[in-house]
Order: sequence, then structure tokens, then C-alpha cells
Amino acid sequence: MTINQSVDLPDVADVLVIGAGASGSVAVKALAESGFSVVCLEQGDWTPPSVFAGDKPEWELVRQKQWHPNPNVRGNPSDYPVETSESDVNPLMYAGVGGSTLLYAAHWCRFLPSDFRVKTLDGIADDWPFTYEELQPFYERMDRDMGVAGLADNPAYPPGEAYPLPPLPIGKIGRKAAEGMDKLGWHWWPGANSIASRQFGHRPACLRYGACLTGCPAGAKASTDITHWPAALEAGARLVTGARVREVTVDAQGRASGAVYIDRNGSERQQKASVVILAANGIGTPRLLQMSTSNLFPDGLANSSGLVGRNLMMHPYGAVVGVYEDPLESWLGPAGQSIESMQFYETDTSRGFVRGAKWNVMPSGGPLGLRAGYGGRPVDESWGLNFHRNVKANLGRSFEWGIIAEDLPDESNRVVLDPELTDSDGLPAPKLLYTSSENTSRLIDFHVERAREAHEAAGAIRTSTTKLMRDCGWHLLGTARMGNDPATSVIDQWGRSHDVPNLYIIDGSTFVTSSGVNPTATIMAIALRSVEHLIANRRDQVVSATTTTV
Amino acid sequence: MLTDEQRARFASLADVLIPAAEGMPSASQADVPTKWLDDALGYRPDLVAGLQEALQAAGDLPADEAVELLNQHHIPAFEALGTLAAGAYFLNPAVKQLIGYPGQVPTVARDDTDTYLDLLENVAERGQVYRDAPAEGQPT
Repeated sequence: MTINQSVDLPDVADVLVIGAGASGSVAVKALAESGFSVVCLEQGDWTPPSVFAGDKPEWELVRQKQWHPNPNVRGNPSDYPVETSESDVNPLMYAGVGGSTLLYAAHWCRFLPSDFRVKTLDGIADDWPFTYEELQPFYERMDRDMGVAGLADNPAYPPGEAYPLPPLPIGKIGRKAAEGMDKLGWHWWPGANSIASRQFGHRPACLRYGACLTGCPAGAKASTDITHWPAALEAGARLVTGARVREVTVDAQGRASGAVYIDRNGSERQQKASVVILAANGIGTPRLLQMSTSNLFPDGLANSSGLVGRNLMMHPYGAVVGVYEDPLESWLGPAGQSIESMQFYETDTSRGFVRGAKWNVMPSGGPLGLRAGYGGRPVDESWGLNFHRNVKANLGRSFEWGIIAEDLPDESNRVVLDPELTDSDGLPAPKLLYTSSENTSRLIDFHVERAREAHEAAGAIRTSTTKLMRDCGWHLLGTARMGNDPATSVIDQWGRSHDVPNLYIIDGSTFVTSSGVNPTATIMAIALRSVEHLIANRRDQVVSATTTTV
Repeated sequence: MLTDEQRARFASLADVLIPAAEGMPSASQADVPTKWLDDALGYRPDLVAGLQEALQAAGDLPADEAVELLNQHHIPAFEALGTLAAGAYFLNPAVKQLIGYPGQVPTVARDDTDTYLDLLENVAERGQVYRDAPAEGQPT
């Protein structure tokens, strides 16, 4: 792959995109291919597959630090710190071209139809301003763009196009888990993953390193540095890496006019644009809006509703690990989901809570990963003779049923600017105020008990449960929600700010509710829907008087 | 990076954590304090400070008592010690062979659909598991 660092930036871009991750990549590619001049500002850098450790002996050591998904643990200069002392969950993300798709597990899941109608069906939260059926064509196009591997006709979803690639192997762990589900009569299906099961374009097939969560050394996983950026750059998009945005600027009429950013040398620069798109994730986007105060917007940009930063949802994650007598080669990838279950996804109020969760089987990794979190427990529980016994009993013989609990919107769960903590450029760090709800607690209690039963039905000789994993906040959602009413939402259904007509938001901030599935497929499908609407309506687009029309 | 004295102290603590047992070598027998610790510290230089804190806190106590003390009262230092001892141990290819772990080696992703189609047919026969959702304005 050729990496181009653009330096010939236009004085005024048609569109400025902030963030080169999942949603920003979609926007930049679509806009550049439609003839727009596009500049993208990205605080991180390129991360070529050759630097990932998943095919190297030190993998399990460095995954706990250099490749940890928590930016506070990683501590790279391009990462901004996040103050989490008042949050039940740590946020996980990666700053760079491709963003968190570099480290995600590539579970490629759609929302269900009911996820768009939560208020109507369950009397809580809100409905989305569009339906599953309206988003389905964009899901199917993203499946093709990302080279998704999966099996069609899953009875958990409405009918639709087949995936472009056949499913990845479910392996011995998937087969074992499926046997348990079959005994119980519960739904399961081979997991859909944005990982190539065969050669797909320039992407080679998966080599089953099982290291998806620390970056794919084979280049088989669909991260947008591979799937979108080469075509975007070929179409003329300009990318500035090492660019940390300080503020979205506005003109005297309150229209976005560009952004001020700090380059890698510490110099402050300005990029003007007719339209500004924020794609900086559910924490970065509200942080930037809150930093962008002015006389016209003293409470932060696009915040007349007061909802910027509020309704943070992070998908609390529970897990039940089962240990089996049979050798299952449970270090083999993908990781990735082997199989999934939607048996308990939909609301059943007799359970004492509303909404539900997707389950996914994932492998358990190598011997060192099995030993995480041993401090403070009795020494002989984890060390001495039991060090050897635990490795022999668990290595290759255990796997996880993971539970993605739907997180409902709550205005008190929010992102604010920390008054003291700053990033390496001196900009205010975000602080999270986040408490997992009583509904979520009941939901997880129910689901982990069912998952334990699933393991036992499959023949597990032992299970262990984690009801809320602290390092689980991959899914950063809801902090600049969409809706039809400017009093109760930040943007409209096309991602356009109710307050600033040439400011768009297209990342996970836009979510009205969180669903109980991994959100990247939905983030990217919505981003595509929004940006194509912008392109189709370019002649009606209001812009700043200080810039040209698009 | 470590003095001979520190390395010897590390070896005594590591052998409490990873003794020779059940057909497996101790940390020292697996060359952890000599070769593999240096590799592990090279991969994880952030653990140097924690390791040195652990060695200092262990003082001259008998190794088993020192390990208990660290686990109870110096948890971050103990975690650095434990991560380095176990991480270095598993870097040794002979140890990997003994536990039957090949490491992350490239493996062809063969289609295994035929191994589970029998079970999947049962799922398909049970049918739809999602709720239909009404369009906006339509009754549930």
C-alpha cells in the first residue's frame, strides 16, 4: 500500500472531515469520488499491518500495553487521555488512519428492526427517525465495501442479500457451543465478520492468528485504512495526519467555516471549508463541540438542545467462560465471532427488564492472556503448582460466551471537559460520568445465567462469570443524538446539526439508542446514507459567506 | 538492566511463582532469569520500574514470604513481577511445546460449514426469532 501524506491543501475545501476512522473514511471516499475537494484531519498516523504483533512471539506481552485498546493504558502521544474515575466502564479506541477499526473484533452485525422502534414497541427511550428497511440498502453496500464473511438466511434477521464472502470457520469452539444451543433449542448462527474468508480484492484470506483485537498482521481484517483510504486518496482526497483539532470555527452568521488544528510540530493551523463533518467518535465529537465555544455558541457548538455529550451509551459487556475436557484449539482465530445467538435479544418483560443482548463465542487466546488480573488473590490460587495446573486445564480448552448488553440512553451519563487533565497539546481531556443502569444489571444477571446454562448443555466442566468487564467500552454512542425535534436532538436524520446548517455529525454520537449488537456496521451504513444525502442535495447546501458554495 | 544481585533475587521469586512441577520446568530451569527476562523487559520496558520496586520491597525475606508480602501490599509491583515471570516463561519455545501451544502460527481458514449444517438445519426449522417492527405511525 502506498501511503500519501498530502501537503497541497486547498485554501478552502468543499468539505472538511475530522477523523479518519470508520465513519470519516466512508465520507471522505464518497465525497472525493463525487468530485468534492475533501480534506481530512486525523490526530493519529498510519499503522501498517507489518507493525502489528499478532504474528510475533511477544504478542501476549505487548497486547497488555502497546496494543491495549484503552488509550489511558497505551498512552501514545496521539491518544488523548480520558478521565474515568466516575465511570463504571473504560472507553476503548484507537487514534489513527482507520481509527478503532484497526483494533476492533470485526463482528459485523446489523441492528434489528425493533432497534429502530424502541419507544413504539417497549415504551422507553425513543424511536429512530428512520427504519431498518430504509437502512438495509446501505447495510448491504457496506457489506460489499468491507468484504464481510457470513452465512445468509439467519432467522434472526429479515431476508436480504447474501454476504459477499462465505463464513469463516467456526472451529471446534463454535461446534461445541452449537451443540449446547442445539440441546436447548436456542438460536445460534455462524458469526458474520468483516474479515476475508478468501482473498477479497487486495486483501488476503484470514490466517487465524486469533489476534484481531490487536490489529491483523495478515491484512485480512477490514480496517478502513485498507478498505477505503487507498481509493479515497486515489480520488484526490487530502489527508493530514498528526492533526489534532482544537476548535470548529464559525462565521458571524453562525455557520461553520472550518477548523483550527495543531500539527505535529506544535504549530496552530487553520483549514477553511464550506461544510464540516465530525467523525471523531462518541467521545471525541462531543469533546470537540464543547471546546468550540464562541459568542454565538457559549455552551458549545450545536448545543441548543443541551444534549451534546449526554446520553452516553457504552454497551456493558458480560462474559461467561466455559472450560471443557476436550482440546478445542481455542487460541485459533478469528476473534472475531465464531458463532452468535439472538435467542434472548428481544424484549420479554416477564424477565424483569426490557431489551436484550447479542451473544458471541470468542476464542480465549494464549497462556498469558488466561492469567490476567491475578493480583490480590491468594498466591497459591494462581501460582506455584496451580500455575501449571491452570494452564493445562484451560489452555486450548476454554471459550467465552460474550454478552453485549443494550445500554439505554440516560442524560446523566455524559461526556464533559475535565477542568484539569489535558492531552499532549494542552487541550482539555474528556471526562466520563457514566453509571450502568438497574435495567442493565438485571439484563446481565439474566443473560449470564442463560449463557452458563448454554455452556453446561455443551458439556463444560467449569464456568466462570464476569458480569461487567471494566475495559469493555468499545462502543461509544449517543452523545449527539439524531431526531426530528431540535429541542430533543442535536442533528437531523441526515446528520445535519439543527443549529448549524453546514455542520454534520456521522459517527456513533448520532445513535438514538444503542441496540444490543456491535455498532460498526450501523455507524458506517448511517455515515454512507448521510453523506450521499449531502451529495445529492449539494445545490441546496447552506455554507459560510466566507467560503465558496459546494 | 539488572545487577547480578537483582537477577538472582528475581530468580528466587520467580521460582516460587513457577516451580518445577507436573513435568514442567521451574522458571530458572527454563532460563527465565537469564535469557527470557531480558527479552520480556525489551518488549515491556514499562515494567522495569515495577520489577525494581518488587525486588526492593522483597528485601531479604525468604522468597515465599516475599511473594506473599508483594501480593498483599504491593499489588502493581507484584503484577509487574508476575507478568514478567510468566511472560518470559511462555517466550521459551520449549515451554510452549510442553504445554502444547503452537503460538500464533498461520493457519488456512478452511470452510467447515459441513461440520455443523446438521445442527443449523434445526435452527432454520425453528424459524424467525426477531420481532416485526411497525413503520412510523403504524400501530404495533
